[in-house]
Amino acid sequence: MAKGGGLFNLSKFDVVVVGAGPSGSTAAYLLAKAGFKVLLLERGRGAGSKLLWGGKAYAEPLRKVWPELDKEAPIHRWVTKERISIVWGERALTLEYKLGRKVAFTSPLPELAGWMAKKAESAGALLLDEVPVDEIVVKEGRAVGVRSGNDFVSADVVIDAEGANRILLEKLGLADRPSPYDMALGVKEVLSLDPRLIEERFGLERDEGLSWLILGDITAGIPGGGFVYTMRETIGIGLVLNIGHAAVAAEKGILRDHVSRLVEGLRTHPYFRNYWREADVIEYGGRMTIEGGLRFVPKRLYSNGLLVVGDAAGMLVNTGYTIRGVDTAVTSARLAAEAIIEARDRGGFTEENLRAYEEKVRESYIYRDLVEHSGIAEIFDDPFFFSKVPSLATRAASKLFEADYGEPSLLEAIKRSAEEEEISLLRLMLKVGRVVRRI
Amino acid sequence: MSQAPSRLKVMKLEELLRRDVWDVDEERHIEVLKQEGLPLKALQLLCPMGCYSMAGERLLMSYEGCVECGTCRVLSKPEQIRWEFPRSGRGIQYRYT
Ligand SMILES: Cc1cc2nc3c(=O)[nH]c(=O)nc-3n(C[C@H](O)[C@H](O)[C@H](O)COP(=O)(O)OP(=O)(O)OC[C@H]3O[C@@H](n4cnc5c(N)ncnc54)[C@H](O)[C@@H]3O)c2cc1C
Ligand code: SF4
Repeated sequence: MAKGGGLFNLSKFDVVVVGAGPSGSTAAYLLAKAGFKVLLLERGRGAGSKLLWGGKAYAEPLRKVWPELDKEAPIHRWVTKERISIVWGERALTLEYKLGRKVAFTSPLPELAGWMAKKAESAGALLLDEVPVDEIVVKEGRAVGVRSGNDFVSADVVIDAEGANRILLEKLGLADRPSPYDMALGVKEVLSLDPRLIEERFGLERDEGLSWLILGDITAGIPGGGFVYTMRETIGIGLVLNIGHAAVAAEKGILRDHVSRLVEGLRTHPYFRNYWREADVIEYGGRMTIEGGLRFVPKRLYSNGLLVVGDAAGMLVNTGYTIRGVDTAVTSARLAAEAIIEARDRGGFTEENLRAYEEKVRESYIYRDLVEHSGIAEIFDDPFFFSKVPSLATRAASKLFEADYGEPSLLEAIKRSAEEEEISLLRLMLKVGRVVRRI
Repeated sequence: MSQAPSRLKVMKLEELLRRDVWDVDEERHIEVLKQEGLPLKALQLLCPMGCYSMAGERLLMSYEGCVECGTCRVLSKPEQIRWEFPRSGRGIQYRYT
């Protein structure tokens, strides 16, 4: 903790990283390991104390930075089952996939980010928490350090890893305040439950976990969805809602309940509640994420003495059915660290030398995914998918499975349901075809 | 049909908030500057912590329960709401999220 300027003003660092989230800690770790003098600044009390997510991280991109990940990281459960449900009223249609290998794991983000920050510290980076950076200081077109209150610390390179709420980048004029349609609000409850009950109810082994995505009327028709993630002895449940659409629904009176009521609706839903009927709610909260895809990526990820990584750089892939922000944050930070190491070897952190970072990002899987899924935003903009499609699917399923007399065929069931919902089958097929191609 | 256990009764927001830990800054970090043009219903229903409410015609903002999510920030313009982070380390202290 820096009070009154002493520590700050004495020293100069090679690199100052703003934000000890997954991206900031990754950059700090790799650069400290490469011999740089690194300062990692975090506004919260301890790394991770401001973070909330759904709950699963893809492991391979993290192993590239920490080969010891599987042994050391706070991995709660390896995801071995993926479920997708469409819910309409009391009805639900579910698809389950059993994975063949360990691809992603669950962990609370405060814990996972805490571990990453510890790795940065053990590599020699200096982590100071409770330090909110007020400004990235630019002099003569070059980032020269950061200011927090009356303290200034200078550095050869500043890495902006402040996350999706990118106030510093906006102050610098490198990003605009985002449109509410490009952002989503996640609201989450943490339920505590005996691990044995978690394993019994979901049919899991001791270190196995489940990741469950939910579409349908649990979002009150607002573009978005729900999630359930099993951790070691907790279950995270919640909703992600597009802020622009949710605001319009609220103003028009379509959304009448507070968002917490929607999450409570999920927790107490007849289809879900018996998985956690004894569970206590031990925490509740919200955090914002990115839905704008490429639109949220700043025009440039680098300038003289400055690199932007992770959520702040829009390095998050939101496919509509899953959010991948942590592995992409870690990867973008790794590429930034590589570019900085190369720039040092080439004699300086000029714009010219730092440009390699952006080129690396463009060649990476993140950029490819961002481009591929950028059309998803269009789907979010189409409420058709969040009201008509789920109700049609569950209606068709009810025709199949709730037939007291006679056995309708699947096609027949879909056709009849479409008629009742007044949806043209052709329009439906065109739209679904478009989505499938995008996804 | 069996009754849902009491744990499965819908909880009010106030009850949910009791599960959380804050270190509240004495200084207000979010402030309504100009109410005109703000989406009043959206702020009341979407702020996950219920920080916005109406007192008659007037929009009230109680910053104490804020989790710094930024939703009210993207729903407003700088001249409508002053939005800052709490000072050093204060505010929400997430543990299991
Ligand atoms: C509801 C929800 C569900 C999600 N689910 C998933 C999921 O299942 N899987 C997945 O991979 N991703 C998920 N994500 C996305 C993921 O959480 C983010 O992409 C990831 O955390 C980004 O890492 P980051 O380091 O770039 O930014 P952040 O994690 O946001 O970290 C930024 C850090 O900087 C600090 N900071 C900010 N401003 C300042 C300042 N001025 N001074 C000092 N410190 C500052 C913050 O306190 C924070 O610690 C989800 C996100 C949300 C909101
Ligand atoms: S930042 Fe989020 S939690 Fe805080 S007042 Fe605004 S909407 Fe509510």
